[in-house]
Amino acid sequence: MAEMVTVRLKVNGVAHEGRCEPRKLLVDFLREDLELTGTHIGCEHGICGACTILFNGEAARSCIMLAVQADGSEILTVEGLMQNGTLHPLQEAFREHHGLQCGFCTPGMLMTALDFLKTNPSPTEAEVREGISAVLCRCTGYQGIVNAVRAAARTLGGAAKVESGT
Amino acid sequence: MKPPKFDYHAPRSVDEALGLLQRYGGDAKVLAGGQSLMPLLNFRLSRPAALVDLNRIPSLAYITEQDGQVRLGAMTRQRTIEFSPVVKERLPLLREATKLVGHLPIRTRGTIGGSLAHADPSAEYPAVLTALEGEVVARGPKGERVIKAKNLFRTYLTTSLEPDEILVEVRMPAMPAGAGFALEEFARRHGDFAIIGIAAMVVRDGPRCRTARLTTAGAGPVPLRLRAAEEILERDGLTDAAIEAAARRASELVSPDADIHASADYRRHLTGVLTKRALKRALGAARG
Amino acid sequence: MSAPAAPKLVGARVPRLEDPRLLTGQGRYVDDHRPARTLHAAFLRTPHAHARILRIDAEAARALPGVAAVLTGEDMARDCKPVRAGSRMPAYKVTSFPALAQGKVRYTGEAVAMVAAESRYLAEDALDCIVVEYEPLPAVAAMEAALAPGAPVLHEEAGDNLLLAREFACGDVDGALAGAHLVVRERFRFHRHTAVCMENRGALAEYASATGTLTLRSSAQCPGIVRDVLADLLDIPEHLIRVVAADVGGGFGAKASLYPEEIAVCVMARRLGRPVKWIGDRREDLLATSHAWDEIVEAELGVAADGTIVGLRAEVMADVGAYSIYPWTAAIEPVQTISFLPGPYRIEHYRGRTRGIATCKAPMGPYRGVGRPPAVFVMEGLLDRAARRLGMDPTALRLRNFIRAEDFPYKSPSGIVWDRSSFTETMLRAREALGWEAARAEAARSRAAGRWVGVGVASYVELTGIGSAIAVSPGMPVPTGTEAATIRVDPAGTVTAVFGIASHGQGLETTLAQVVADELGVPIETVRVLHGDTALSPYGTGTYASRSTVLAGGAGILAGRDVREKTLRIAAHLLEAHPADLVVQDGRVAVRGLPDRYVTVRDVAKAAYGGVRHLPRGMEPGLEATRFYDPYYGTASNATHMAVVEVDRETFHVRILRYLVAEDCGRIINPLVVDGQVHGGVAQGVGAALLEEIVYDGEGQLLTGTLMDYLVPTASEVPAMEVHHVETPSPTTLGGFRGMGEGGTIGAPAVIANAVSDALAELGIEVNELPLSPERLFRRIVGGS
Ligand SMILES: Cc1cc2nc3c(=O)[nH]c(=O)nc-3n(C[C@H](O)[C@H](O)[C@H](O)COP(=O)(O)OP(=O)(O)OC[C@H]3O[C@@H](n4cnc5c(N)ncnc54)[C@H](O)[C@@H]3O)c2cc1C
Ligand code: FES
Ligand code: FES
Repeated sequence: MAEMVTVRLKVNGVAHEGRCEPRKLLVDFLREDLELTGTHIGCEHGICGACTILFNGEAARSCIMLAVQADGSEILTVEGLMQNGTLHPLQEAFREHHGLQCGFCTPGMLMTALDFLKTNPSPTEAEVREGISAVLCRCTGYQGIVNAVRAAARTLGGAAKVESGT
Repeated sequence: MKPPKFDYHAPRSVDEALGLLQRYGGDAKVLAGGQSLMPLLNFRLSRPAALVDLNRIPSLAYITEQDGQVRLGAMTRQRTIEFSPVVKERLPLLREATKLVGHLPIRTRGTIGGSLAHADPSAEYPAVLTALEGEVVARGPKGERVIKAKNLFRTYLTTSLEPDEILVEVRMPAMPAGAGFALEEFARRHGDFAIIGIAAMVVRDGPRCRTARLTTAGAGPVPLRLRAAEEILERDGLTDAAIEAAARRASELVSPDADIHASADYRRHLTGVLTKRALKRALGAARG
Repeated sequence: MSAPAAPKLVGARVPRLEDPRLLTGQGRYVDDHRPARTLHAAFLRTPHAHARILRIDAEAARALPGVAAVLTGEDMARDCKPVRAGSRMPAYKVTSFPALAQGKVRYTGEAVAMVAAESRYLAEDALDCIVVEYEPLPAVAAMEAALAPGAPVLHEEAGDNLLLAREFACGDVDGALAGAHLVVRERFRFHRHTAVCMENRGALAEYASATGTLTLRSSAQCPGIVRDVLADLLDIPEHLIRVVAADVGGGFGAKASLYPEEIAVCVMARRLGRPVKWIGDRREDLLATSHAWDEIVEAELGVAADGTIVGLRAEVMADVGAYSIYPWTAAIEPVQTISFLPGPYRIEHYRGRTRGIATCKAPMGPYRGVGRPPAVFVMEGLLDRAARRLGMDPTALRLRNFIRAEDFPYKSPSGIVWDRSSFTETMLRAREALGWEAARAEAARSRAAGRWVGVGVASYVELTGIGSAIAVSPGMPVPTGTEAATIRVDPAGTVTAVFGIASHGQGLETTLAQVVADELGVPIETVRVLHGDTALSPYGTGTYASRSTVLAGGAGILAGRDVREKTLRIAAHLLEAHPADLVVQDGRVAVRGLPDRYVTVRDVAKAAYGGVRHLPRGMEPGLEATRFYDPYYGTASNATHMAVVEVDRETFHVRILRYLVAEDCGRIINPLVVDGQVHGGVAQGVGAALLEEIVYDGEGQLLTGTLMDYLVPTASEVPAMEVHHVETPSPTTLGGFRGMGEGGTIGAPAVIANAVSDALAELGIEVNELPLSPERLFRRIVGGS
């Protein structure tokens, strides 16, 4: 019989502790034990990206990680994006450009785009498409999402760099 | 799709990990990035008694350069490799291959050791290791041994690693300065495993081709070194005609399998097409 | 009666009201509800395509710690009836679809047992312990073989595997084709697809034994339909059942049907007196959510020398899978195909025959476009073949044959009545926006230079917002022609508008709020739209068949008018003015021309609830209205799609270089939302045309059981799209809205196929099979075994 394990971690800046079976998936731990249901489950085999979170600052799939592996880590989920009641510029851009419809892919899409923009602050359209191809969206045809990520890149200061750099 | 029960261990050292593997006598599985193993567990296609998680062994993640060789700890993340200056400088083919491994969030966790140990015939890293004549270091109860790429991959998802061995290091000779290289692959969607991939490297010597390397991904149960095609180039140089001939030869050398995405014939056809494309691009990038 | 002020919100790019919650992780999908003491369900799914169940031994599973119960088909049969999707269609055979297999299994993935346990992990552990003994039966794998004499029969009660047949005939098609200048014929194959909503299906049932009330939260598009049928199946009075579909992660038609799991969780919850939740995983989704579009169509089109269509004849075979799905029945896809095959064209002589054939596959059900993606692929493919042989420009051929302005209302040969539509206008707009001539010339130059570049066009019309004149699915007995709205102004002057439809991504909370706010003359911030809850709303069925804007929008307008009228009468009383002299705008009712003489809607509401003392003589207190709307025939939206593609000469990969849509969905409520629907629809059509395919082997085993194998397009495979609007308000619906939401998916497969055929014209290759995988093109172009 597998023993229970203790998981201590910080999610969205708040320290949490929980006990679970070692086989518990990180996404289930976030959703069930911490009641952070913003992170979604779409496939549990790493393809759809709905469960994407920032794990120690980098985008990762929480459906193919164990909760116990997150012991000692810092996680950012979609619930942590809004600051003081204000939407994050990326969230704002998604609203402005209709980057979501049913909203199911959206949390994973936001976290993926955030990480992508960190590695590539002023992407071309093709690069944005490549970056967000890590997450499947069945509603938007991606057009609104691509527009939103490009707009967010400009807001977040990427574009300025390109212009001064060229 | 929830994993079955297993014991879980997160050893702090390789020795401790080896001890655990021995204790479970072949019923334990090593967990690296989990990007291949966890889906198998979620589908309950794999039911190990225990997982031995290497993620708490920091000494397994590094990239160093030594004696003309780049050494990567088995737990080096694909994401780290993608952004490593050493890899960019010395193993640009590995860097190019890395960008084709899934997507960034997959590479955040996926490791080079995991990819090689998993030995998916469509994966990029096994093809690159084979093309560059790299090797891996395995450590087991009887100590360390070095396994050359050509001896590592046995068949689908099967390597010559023993169940009680851990792949600890990957070694690849630095690519010669000025070497041209390319990894051409065809996948139906961005980020998918290749239907066919061709890793190519050419070292030019004026009009001649000093060294040519060609390996496949997806064209059979293991990455295949296309030696007879390489020889055409090394003999005839990098002319269009030689490239055409090498590409033709390449497609004759492979005996791929069929699946729902591609028949054996189409894969053979793609092998020729991508060999030509990879060589042309490699040639374009080569100096010397 | 005073008219509302000119619409301000209808037509505006209003950012969606649902976005803030969905962007911050505060959406509430089924799986986000976790009532205390919830049990988690898992289903044991058979690995056999066709087998008799000899024995099920669940003792070991029941004995596992944490397992509350295991049910088999026999247990289930004691607690509920099997679903029997009926139809008035003569050549339709009613068959049973039990919630858990009884006696035999008919497709790989069919549920044979159900576990409820303290966690999903434990429930899956229990599945591992259930032993089922089967006697394998020969599989019915291919529809072509399923009708052969001696073929194994799936439903003994049906006698054979032909579940339905239907014919539409008009004129003398045989004579017309015999006399045609040119007849083009082709055998078209549209393979099996599935919706892959990013949220898998899920259901959560709670039963209160003291009151006998059942609450089902489900990822459903049609909560009303589900409630009605559950009452019958479970023998619970309808008013004691509440079905809630709050936030739903995409539906696309696939969540519009009743599913076995929804029934099963209710049965389990009633038995155990605890909440029971089932959240399907992706494996279950690919195995057991409805499939779509799997058809073989043999069709012939006859034209005169000048390109005028003289006749169309088609034989359709559809692989409807193992069960007839409720409420649409197995007829929905095959019959829609022959209904819509004639498209937006004048066709006098037509015969379409269709057959729905049962095989060992997941049931076929509605998916975005229903019947029309294959129908349009066929019709537009035939037109291009005719144009090529006649040496005519394909757009000219279509323009010659479109139903013209003077023909409306036009009764199609399958009996559908088209109201005034813009077939010609969208074609002309698309031609202009693309630069049709230039694009064709450019493609020809590219081809001369050795590249396989082609330009394609496809037009279609879709019946939307269907009223009570016809059933959404032919012959189905469940009425689908009405929707209702309740609009309630509370004493503070804020507005709650409740609808029976259920939004799952379409932004109806916003668009309906726009309609209601305009109708009432109040700011949109003061309007809250509720939907997807049978306990809150007046009677309605749900969201499907591009109906919600038309039907719910119409009901919203009617209810809004009633509330506005009463508002004006109360305001007139308060202002001592005549109602006809008042205008209501921005939450104020003012005397026309005297903007300072006003009362607010809040003042009016306060008066309305203050009792008769504050009201005009004889007026009843309160400020709310419920109205029903039935557009009777419904309306239509139409579009022309154009695409430029390039086929890689060596890999046979198809790349879309340009994609353009000129569409007409009538009066546009919110351009942001309309564009989003087009983009999403096209992306699914691109997937259908190039990537996605459900594959079973000859033994009925599913080979595409993961998202590694069933290829949903990513952002890298979907092209940037240009969307142009022709806005022809519908003459037959309130508000002038025409439904939309499916069109993108209807046009895309056809236009991509046609563009590829154009690119490969010199090779004489005309696309007749979708999806157009590189493998298929390789076989067509190079050959190979
Ligand atoms: C959506 C998605 C897309 C992907 N696309 C690609 C792609 O295009 N190309 C590609 O190559 N890969 C792809 N992958 C797989 C991914 O790259 C994995 O990272 C890789 O195959 C396995 O590495 P890992 O570190 O995750 O290993 P794990 O999944 O942890 O392990 C894989 C196997 O190797 C064994 N193993 C791991 N490390 C060791 C070790 N040090 N010693 C001995 N045995 C070990 C494990 O026991 C297990 O059997 C994709 C994965 C996903 C989820
Ligand atoms: S749920 Fe994790 S990638 Fe799909
Ligand atoms: S918004 Fe529905 S899946 Fe992306």
